[in-house]
Amino acid sequence: MIALSVAAVLAIFIVYTSIAGAGTPEIGPSTVGRHAGEDVLLVGTVVGRVAGDAHAGGMRFLLKDDHGAAATRTRVLYSGSVPDLFRTGRQIVVEGTLRNGTFVAKPGSLVTKCPSKYTPAKSNA
Amino acid sequence: MADLGRAALLLSFALVAYALVGGSLAAWKRRRRLAFSAQNALVASFATTLVASIVLWIALWRRDLSFVYVAQHTSRSLPLGYALSAFWGGQEGSLLLWLLILTGYASLAVLLNRRSRELIAWTVPVLGGIAVFFALMLCFVSSPFTTAAAPADGAGMVPSLQNPYMLAHPPMLYLGYVGLTIPFAFAMGALLARRTDERWIVATRRWTLAAWTFLGVGQLLGAHWAYVEIGWGGYYAWDPVENAALMPWLAATAFLHSVMIQEKRGMLKIWNVTLVSLAFCLSVFGTFLTRSGVINSIHSFSQSSLGGWFLGFIVVVTVFSVALIYVRLPLLRTKTKLESLVSREATFLYNNLLLVALALTILWGVVYPLLTQAVNGETRSVSKPYYDFFLHSFGLPLLLLMGIGPLVAWRRASLRALGKTFAVPAAVSVVTGAVLLGLGFGSSPPGLLAYTFSAFVAASIALEFVRGRSATGSLRRLVARNRRRYGGYIVHAAIVLLAIGIAGSSAYQTIRERSLQRGQSMQAAGYTLTYESLETRQLQNAQQTSAVINVSRSGSHVTTLHPGKSWFPVEQSASNDVSIYHDPRSLGDVYTIADGISKNGTLDLKVLVKPLVNLVWAAGFVFVFGSLVAMWPDAVEQRKLADRYAAVPV
Repeated sequence: MIALSVAAVLAIFIVYTSIAGAGTPEIGPSTVGRHAGEDVLLVGTVVGRVAGDAHAGGMRFLLKDDHGAAATRTRVLYSGSVPDLFRTGRQIVVEGTLRNGTFVAKPGSLVTKCPSKYTPAKSNA
Repeated sequence: MADLGRAALLLSFALVAYALVGGSLAAWKRRRRLAFSAQNALVASFATTLVASIVLWIALWRRDLSFVYVAQHTSRSLPLGYALSAFWGGQEGSLLLWLLILTGYASLAVLLNRRSRELIAWTVPVLGGIAVFFALMLCFVSSPFTTAAAPADGAGMVPSLQNPYMLAHPPMLYLGYVGLTIPFAFAMGALLARRTDERWIVATRRWTLAAWTFLGVGQLLGAHWAYVEIGWGGYYAWDPVENAALMPWLAATAFLHSVMIQEKRGMLKIWNVTLVSLAFCLSVFGTFLTRSGVINSIHSFSQSSLGGWFLGFIVVVTVFSVALIYVRLPLLRTKTKLESLVSREATFLYNNLLLVALALTILWGVVYPLLTQAVNGETRSVSKPYYDFFLHSFGLPLLLLMGIGPLVAWRRASLRALGKTFAVPAAVSVVTGAVLLGLGFGSSPPGLLAYTFSAFVAASIALEFVRGRSATGSLRRLVARNRRRYGGYIVHAAIVLLAIGIAGSSAYQTIRERSLQRGQSMQAAGYTLTYESLETRQLQNAQQTSAVINVSRSGSHVTTLHPGKSWFPVEQSASNDVSIYHDPRSLGDVYTIADGISKNGTLDLKVLVKPLVNLVWAAGFVFVFGSLVAMWPDAVEQRKLADRYAAVPV
């Protein structure tokens, strides 16, 4: 009886993972090139100037890896709500697809990671 | 001052270590006086931890910036209430709060159960052992009493934490997380003492209920906080840290139900000790997630040195409880078997499986990025569609079961009797479903199902009350006679409200976004929003700019909303000030966000119309009321228990 129920739950689980695939990859700018055309979560730190308007024509900025010395920068095009904490130097996560060298983000998918929430910014103040 | 705090913590560490070692020795060698002194040590550790906590509070109150913790989490201009709440705004303070609540709970539990010597003999060292971990962290790894030369001003508090909810939400969650320690410690204590009857369950029933209520309320407060403050228009985002609180709550919900079967029928003993261990492990895991920063979260905590320690602690607790349950398996086996798949016991079992399945699939989703990283070196994560799928496939059947379970007889129910009992609720739900389908609610099948099932459950709860009332004559007497049962039904009613609120506000919401110039207006679900002007105000520690939005419906003025942004100079960051209109007619909200305000006065306005969302918050009040009814001391129950244990040698 219990075994049967557990099996049923497991079956639902397997059906789901086989239909919906196994999650979205979370990657940094240095490896995003390998996933061109795929839906991914791009994780990185904003560098340089932020240009454009997220509510008119899209906001453009460059993203680099959070850690490591990789020199790769990825161009991001984003539109929709911009979190309060978004600015150059912040770590962010954005969902979208790499198309022709530009990462086209899904509208409203931008999330900032705020390193100063529980311990103050020592390195990125 | 800092020295006093440090000394008090060291003393706490010594006392709880004594409770662990002395208590174990006393229980093992059956030394009464040693056992007594171990209990006293636990109580004393509460006093010393309280001293340490008061020291920290005084430092926060005086903004004594020579305390590194105070300098990092407050500033001179931060209002006093938020400065005091910075106690749980950072890692060190949160750990201290854990220890404070843990020793407080442990003392109370020990004092209340002092006469059941056998029951608490092994519980005291288990509680001591858990407290040792937190005291160790506080004394040697992450101390709130580190001092340094005082800076000119503190770093301040992140603006989104500067909200009245900061005063209530974290302590509530901690009261819940830590509260689960008590049933866990009593269960382990009972196993160590080779007592596998249900006394530990009876002794901790109210503790579990209280912890579970705190967790539930804490989560709803957090949801409401996110809703009114964070400003994205939702209240739950399947974020790892939110899930961290949901998982132990689900496990505790399963536990609260399954212990009833052990009390009534002596079944499921192994399952119950497993569940209580799972709930406790998940609550420690929750604290670990919140504090370690191993998983990307919008709550984003910085990477900290504590992760490894917590992981080690979780491993120790898991290995300890699994091993103990395994060793005691022969004592835990029961002769009672499930008699029928159509019985109260069986519905409880289905409920348990669904709840645990939901908790474990959420756990899988939370640790998925870590697992994929470990297995093939690439982090992959799952998001809303994954969680929504399992919420629908496990949550909706759970909702339905909530209506079925209470109406099915214990042991074995006949199908004919069942047909009779379910005629009314089934009819109500079919009619509700058909009417809603006619009104166009078929646009979201899960939403329609949630409404239909809710109608079924509501009808079956109402039926129970009506039936009981005609048997006893008055509603008050009915509830007084069986508080636990009817309190449970009230909680079920709260869950129905919650389900309706969630379904309404997520499956049937309207979202509109537009750039507006002064004088322009936009439409959203029957409301017209007109951008009138901009206002600027100076607050104590922030500068606020807000738009004046005139809201009307079919030509007549409804309200004026003020969505805007605040700039905090000390913290060098901005925060969204959303503005919400609660429509008493639809029980829904008109939720406005000023996404952008440009220098020339152009406003990027986002409007969400969320039907029935206020039922989610109403559910919170009903939930607390139901829990209180179920928790209230019950003279009849006490007498029954006394009679029952009179025969059992203690």
